[in-house]
Amino acid sequence: MARQRGPVLVDTNVILECWRMDAWRALTGGYRVETVEDCVIETQTGFQRRRQEQQIDNAALQSSLAAIQKVGDAERAAAIVREPMFSFLDLGEQSLWAHALSRTDNWVLCGPDKASLRFGVRLGFRERLVALEGLLQDAGHKASGLRPAYTSSWLSKTLGEIVIMEASKRK
Amino acid sequence: MGTNLIGARIKALREQRGLSQEDLAHVFGFKDRQTVSAIETGERRLSADELLTAVQKLGATLDYFINPFLLAGEGKFSWRQSNVALERLNAFERVAGRWVAANRTLAPEVGRPPPNLRQALKLTSKSSYEEAMAAGERFAADFELGPVPAERLAEVMERRLGVLVLMVDAIEGISGAACRLLDLDAVLISRNEVVGRRHFDLAHELFHILTWDTMPPEHVEDASERSKIRVEQLANNFASAVLMPTEVLGRFEPAKVNNVQWLNDTAEALQVTATALKWRLVALGRLDAVQANKIPDAALRNNGRDVSGRKPPPLYSKAFMEVIALAIDEGHMSARKTADLLDMRLDDLAELGAAHGVKLALDL
Repeated sequence: MARQRGPVLVDTNVILECWRMDAWRALTGGYRVETVEDCVIETQTGFQRRRQEQQIDNAALQSSLAAIQKVGDAERAAAIVREPMFSFLDLGEQSLWAHALSRTDNWVLCGPDKASLRFGVRLGFRERLVALEGLLQDAGHKASGLRPAYTSSWLSKTLGEIVIMEASKRK
Repeated sequence: MGTNLIGARIKALREQRGLSQEDLAHVFGFKDRQTVSAIETGERRLSADELLTAVQKLGATLDYFINPFLLAGEGKFSWRQSNVALERLNAFERVAGRWVAANRTLAPEVGRPPPNLRQALKLTSKSSYEEAMAAGERFAADFELGPVPAERLAEVMERRLGVLVLMVDAIEGISGAACRLLDLDAVLISRNEVVGRRHFDLAHELFHILTWDTMPPEHVEDASERSKIRVEQLANNFASAVLMPTEVLGRFEPAKVNNVQWLNDTAEALQVTATALKWRLVALGRLDAVQANKIPDAALRNNGRDVSGRKPPPLYSKAFMEVIALAIDEGHMSARKTADLLDMRLDDLAELGAAHGVKLALDL
């Protein structure tokens, strides 16, 4: 697959994993990485929903991102009426998708949660869902040690399973 | 999933505000009330602009219209409690409602729909205490609760009756609750109560679930095994018989010298409280009421055991955690959304699943 030239939208999980693997600089150096305000908040201590929290310097994070998008009720309302499953995503994931759906450029979205992936597949964005591992490798960074959910093989397998589940749901 | 969530919330809010469908049609700028009716029943979907109009004109947040884990205008709780301020109780009810709503919404998605039919006891408020006890005895026999009925009761309620049973960290003063939705029954039990008390609460709430239509319980009831309210007394008699059927009690040698010791030991074996056992024996005519009253409650507290080292059961239930695990694994609900729902860290959530023998895919 050709290296992504457009914006890369990342969720909270991806930011935390990059920070854990010391790969954030490689990712933001290689792509136009964007996220939403709610995901930035979720990366801060007390909001990570993990026992071992990463110490993520808010100023450093913000300055390294190409954009931090603000998402309002209008984008959220547009997303929920397109697909009710939107309600079953967490606030950061909701905001990221609500923002993505409002764009018309060639964005890709990097976020490993299965519900987020299923939401994307249901709306016809399977080809825009990318693995962190692939992004890092394409940017020339050796991406070993990532958790399985961030690898290209896991994403490929999971998307295949989701496509089958969605197809059986439509029957 | 949640295809008519927004329509149902609009209806609930309209009714809560005392508005007619005509009033709402005017708010949205529709020509007639039929359009509102179609939105409420899910025949017509709202546009994003109409949804924003609802947010602005009806004074509710967008979350109110799209959050699947709210019980808005639906669901009735009956709380078994002691001296809990109504404001605190209602706040906890909103939290508990999220768990119940989550199971109601997610279980059918993962192939675990609630039963099609609802079972009920053939009792009314005019039934006698003897009839309530007979119903309890029969329940224990029909569902083969075995030599220690308390041990199997939760499982039978979940697997055979489709009742959601959740062990929860309730606020102080709450023992348990029964909850009735149109399509789901649930029982919540404070997991930090002593084991005998938990089982009695469970059997008591079971009575409310099985008699809800003929004897709807009060929103708030006193958590006493010696309640003065008739429906509660019927529930207590039923609960005693379920947990201590005559046939099961008959297997124990009768007390000889020390009633207190015998009560405590027998209650411990049956996983009930010695106090409940004492009154059950009185009801069966095996213990004289005057003699029973002479036995001090203090001697029966915690069945005469030191319970300080005992751990409560894990939160919620295995069946509930299985639904959660499947919902995450099949991509029906995100892991972070789940953590938010249960107010837990992902690691703690995984550990809780493991405590129930359920593996959650949370390696993010």
